[in-house]
Amino acid sequence: MSRSRALAPVVAFVVLAVVVAVLPSFVSAFRAQQLAYVAIYLVALLGLNILTGYTGQISLGHGAFMAIGGYTTAILMTDHGVKDVWTIPLAGLVAGIVGFLFGIPALRLSGLYLALATFAVAVSMPAVIKRFEGFTGGGGGINLFGVPELTASLTPVTVLGRELTFNDWIYYLCWTIALVGYVVAWLLVRGRTGRAFRAVRDSESAAQSAGVSLASYKTLAFGVSAAYAGVAGSLFAIATTFVNPDTFPVALSILLLVGVVVGGLGSLAGLIAGAVFIQFLPIWSQEVSKSPGAPAVVSGVVLIALMFVLPMGFAGLVDRLRALTKR
Amino acid sequence: MSRKIAFALSALVLTFATGVTAAFAGPTRGSTDPGVTSTSILLGTTSPLSGVASAYASVARGADAYFKYVNGRGGVNGRKILDTIVDDAYNPALTVQATRQLVEQDKVFAVFNGLGTEQNLAVRDYLNAQKVPQLFAASGATAFGSETAKYPYTIGLQPSYQAEGWVLGKYLARTQGATKVAVLFQNDDYGADLLNGFKKGIERSRVRIAAAQPYEVTASDVQAQIAKLRSSGANVFAVFATPKFAIQAYVYANKLGWKPKLSLTNAVSSASNVMQLASEGGTNKVVEGSVSIVFLKDPTDPSWKNDAAMRLYRSIMKRYAPSANVDDVYHVYGMAAAWTAVEALRRAGKDLTRDGLVKVVANMNFTGNPFLLPGIGLRTGPGDHFPIEQMVLQRWHKGTWKSFGGIWGYRTA
Repeated sequence: MSRSRALAPVVAFVVLAVVVAVLPSFVSAFRAQQLAYVAIYLVALLGLNILTGYTGQISLGHGAFMAIGGYTTAILMTDHGVKDVWTIPLAGLVAGIVGFLFGIPALRLSGLYLALATFAVAVSMPAVIKRFEGFTGGGGGINLFGVPELTASLTPVTVLGRELTFNDWIYYLCWTIALVGYVVAWLLVRGRTGRAFRAVRDSESAAQSAGVSLASYKTLAFGVSAAYAGVAGSLFAIATTFVNPDTFPVALSILLLVGVVVGGLGSLAGLIAGAVFIQFLPIWSQEVSKSPGAPAVVSGVVLIALMFVLPMGFAGLVDRLRALTKR
Repeated sequence: MSRKIAFALSALVLTFATGVTAAFAGPTRGSTDPGVTSTSILLGTTSPLSGVASAYASVARGADAYFKYVNGRGGVNGRKILDTIVDDAYNPALTVQATRQLVEQDKVFAVFNGLGTEQNLAVRDYLNAQKVPQLFAASGATAFGSETAKYPYTIGLQPSYQAEGWVLGKYLARTQGATKVAVLFQNDDYGADLLNGFKKGIERSRVRIAAAQPYEVTASDVQAQIAKLRSSGANVFAVFATPKFAIQAYVYANKLGWKPKLSLTNAVSSASNVMQLASEGGTNKVVEGSVSIVFLKDPTDPSWKNDAAMRLYRSIMKRYAPSANVDDVYHVYGMAAAWTAVEALRRAGKDLTRDGLVKVVANMNFTGNPFLLPGIGLRTGPGDHFPIEQMVLQRWHKGTWKSFGGIWGYRTA
């Protein structure tokens, strides 16, 4: 019994991996490209959930960490001739270090004050990027399409004996990283570190009296979370083949928080639904109506309705269904 | 424990190997170009239907109404024009995704009049690599008209911002003698193009720039900049901004009691509704007498009240976009673009290909676009993808624009 319980998540994960792996054979190349963005958002949500869902630190500025990752990739590719895939870990590292450093002053802030501070980072990021125009290309941004360092943009790439077009290549790249990131996040939150994170979230004073160092676990959560966002930003830049300050707007940071809440705070599996939600909601709401302002209203109504129906996000839905079957 | 993880990871790698093997190879390309059938031509447009810049959505709405009007009269060479409009919320990352959707999923023949400078820059390399025409990019950035060798499939429409700045500068140089100008400009390529053109226009004249203050497009207001400009002692106020900031600039200048003898403003922020807001019910003296440039017929300008083209404009709007604000000049802009597209498609002939269309728009000499001011033509040639390079000055007087003087021309390329 206990052994099968322990195996259940592994089985579920393998099923997910199989579905992800064969899906491109059944959908158009364009749809595969859209699904790649789901993987990108999943990476960002995994990171944000470690910080917000598990450690209880609200961040309204994860779009800024994505921007750091995206620009790291774009600058390395165009100015230093680094192949796109090698920039991904570097982007994660750079964003992770920045996140870790940001975590130090953030120790003094809690709750709403931290939310405001991170929001300020997201708001100021586009202006900061424009300020260093020689480095970042300013408002015009950096174009990656057709750059030789970008895999498969002009000619298909051969992986394991198969030719992949750009869309399929991006799909597999993003999902491979997302699934590896998922396993890493799962390992992190299920063990000792995860327990410490949750203890910090539930009661800081209780955690402290149990010997959990608030400073080290909060900064660790910030660092790990920002590293995830950096990887997501890097993939975003590669998939979009373009970065400019407006590709990482304040709205992106808010959208990520929406994704985490819709997926379910403090859960990993629900985040997949959260990522699907933030990628496809704007597209679906456009199909409802294209009159001025209408898509935004549709998105808002759906979101409010969802919070009423699924107060704990999609993860809560899974728990509820499980409770129903047990009865 | 670690064995379980090793198992999971190896399963992952395995499934990927099969998945990659199963994924099918690249798309096949037929003999004729996508998006054209014997009865239809499919175009695609990215537009900010939502978000901060949604006021510009009127451009796509005006164009769409004109296409419907043309279709009602039999279309072009027997084909109806269908225009798919996709929202990008003015975010270049979404423009990229929306454009891929148009090209790869909807399989459009050409991208038409996508809106925004950064938005068009973000997809320019992609569209040229796919050999999809990027027709009449709705931006005055010089990049869209001058880099024709690298981007043969890209073509602009309106006068470049540089040309606009030059005309305003030259007007000052010719009419004002010794003057000191205070400039407010947006801190991006858009503002820089306007300012550089202006500087070229006042070269070798007695007009000097006393102060130039930038603002960020993400800023909340420009009060500090206006205060600095006022203290520069300049007697001409030049506003090179986007609508929201232009309104603020005028309102703050008035509040601070600044009385420049003349204000200049660029076309993007000089739509009548913007000026009416800025004029604070006609009480703002900084707005009165402002000079700007124009190349479209403004629906609020009384001189076009009985003009045949503007009567047609109003009837098209009434029929195909009944809920829209007919006074919004962006609709006229959209129709002027749509007229140009229809004319180009007509000349590209019955045997329509992407390369054939590009050849037509790269060697345009169209006259008679009814939505442009009389005498303004659409001309392009080798190395010059700026269709409109002529404009007229206009002056704001008691709640409306009034054009004056002859046609000004400037070749950016």
